[in-house]
Amino acid sequence: MKPMLSTDLNAADTTVEKAKIEVKNLNFYYGQSKALKDINLSLPERSVTAFIGPSGCGKSTLLRVLNRIYELYPKQSAEGQVLLDGKNILDRSQDLNLLRTKIGMVFQKPTPFPMSIYENIAFGVRLYEKISKAEMDSRVEQALKRAALWNEVKDKLNASGLSLSGGQQQRLCIARTVAVKPEVILLDEPASALDPLSTAKIEELIDELQADYTIVIVTHNMQQAARVSRQTAFMYLGELVEFDRTEKIFTSPREKRTQDYITGRFG
Amino acid sequence: MAEHTVASFDEDLRQISRLINDMGDLASSMVGGATRALLETDNALAQRVVSDDAIMDARQRELDDRAITLIAKRQPMADDLRNVVGSIRMAGDLERIGDLAKNIAKRVGSVGVSAAPRDLTHSIDSMAQMVLIQVQAVIQEYMVGDATALAKLRNDDERIDVKYTSVFRELLTYMMEDPRNITACTHLLFCAKNLERIGDHVTNIAENAYYVLTGTQLPANRPKQDETAMSAPAA
Repeated sequence: MKPMLSTDLNAADTTVEKAKIEVKNLNFYYGQSKALKDINLSLPERSVTAFIGPSGCGKSTLLRVLNRIYELYPKQSAEGQVLLDGKNILDRSQDLNLLRTKIGMVFQKPTPFPMSIYENIAFGVRLYEKISKAEMDSRVEQALKRAALWNEVKDKLNASGLSLSGGQQQRLCIARTVAVKPEVILLDEPASALDPLSTAKIEELIDELQADYTIVIVTHNMQQAARVSRQTAFMYLGELVEFDRTEKIFTSPREKRTQDYITGRFG
Repeated sequence: MAEHTVASFDEDLRQISRLINDMGDLASSMVGGATRALLETDNALAQRVVSDDAIMDARQRELDDRAITLIAKRQPMADDLRNVVGSIRMAGDLERIGDLAKNIAKRVGSVGVSAAPRDLTHSIDSMAQMVLIQVQAVIQEYMVGDATALAKLRNDDERIDVKYTSVFRELLTYMMEDPRNITACTHLLFCAKNLERIGDHVTNIAENAYYVLTGTQLPANRPKQDETAMSAPAA
């Protein structure tokens, strides 16, 4: 099924904004089982796009294709094209390390490394760049400030990352992602394990980060999708059912399946 | 429309819908009662319309409470969200219709229609019938979900406006013919204006109901007929 895009939206979104990522005719398989069916969509640059849908609809799978992290697992394969600035990242010649510096990812559960707060951030940077101690100090500070965590940890940078609260750990993970200067940030349920205050801080952070990064967020929390994103994609059974401006999706979606899902009438 | 997974959500929405239906019935009965009281100089009936307004206000407050609570508890989306917000707005218009009917009823004592020319009461009567049909139809069409009928109904308000203009001219003529008509005619002029305003609230309800049902707004301007000529009253 082709996604339905209202024409006025197309005019607003694609003429003004450049697509950062374009997904074309994407199919994805877990072994023999087809998890994504002919997905086509275009993610505008410096904007937040939300993927919503019931469990098993393929939204996390789609996110995992965008930085090819699925390749860590056997028998998973993608066909079709995912163009990052026009270049197909599914191409065999794509350097995976380079790809993952450009496209960072934050997971549902905070995953700080068992090392100091400072090292959590410096570790990733060192993999890709040789910089002086002073430059590294500055990079760590900038990343922590970007993730709105600096004020809370500046006096204990040598404390273990694991000593932070869940919300702080998640912001540390975002700082770690931002530190390697990505272009795209993928967030897989980044706030689902957090309390409302920490969730609000993450959402505020997403709002600020979209000025510099293209952000894709997978969330089960529809109010969260409605709050943070500019575009929303509704997926069901591996299909992209509807992709439109977020206001449109949540006030008058085009497709009955979208309406049933977001109003709580599903199944 | 399929049921919600959470059954009590459906029940909450049904309660709001029931209140809109009740308020619509009450508005029709108040408009019908007020005009009949006016034309038949029935003071008891007028008094009943006046006291019905308190019931209308109470219904609106109940609807507001239910709608606000539903938004807080359920965070409705899409058609549910349009339904709840639209209901709040429609209830506001129905409450205003009640106020306008009450205003007409309150004039019954002072008009003394017997003093007014017979032809004139006839014109007011036919205008009141047009308005009453609109009030009854708008809630009916919303309840059955007929968006096309609502769009037509909104356009039909134009006929009430034209009728109001003709009643206005007629009243002026009677007042010029015989200054003893002035008191009664002035009261009737206010009544006619109230009926015309009721028509405008029906138009608002039709527009809201159309949006609730379809998710799209009717065009801002409905087609206007030419009603220049002499002394058209300001809206």
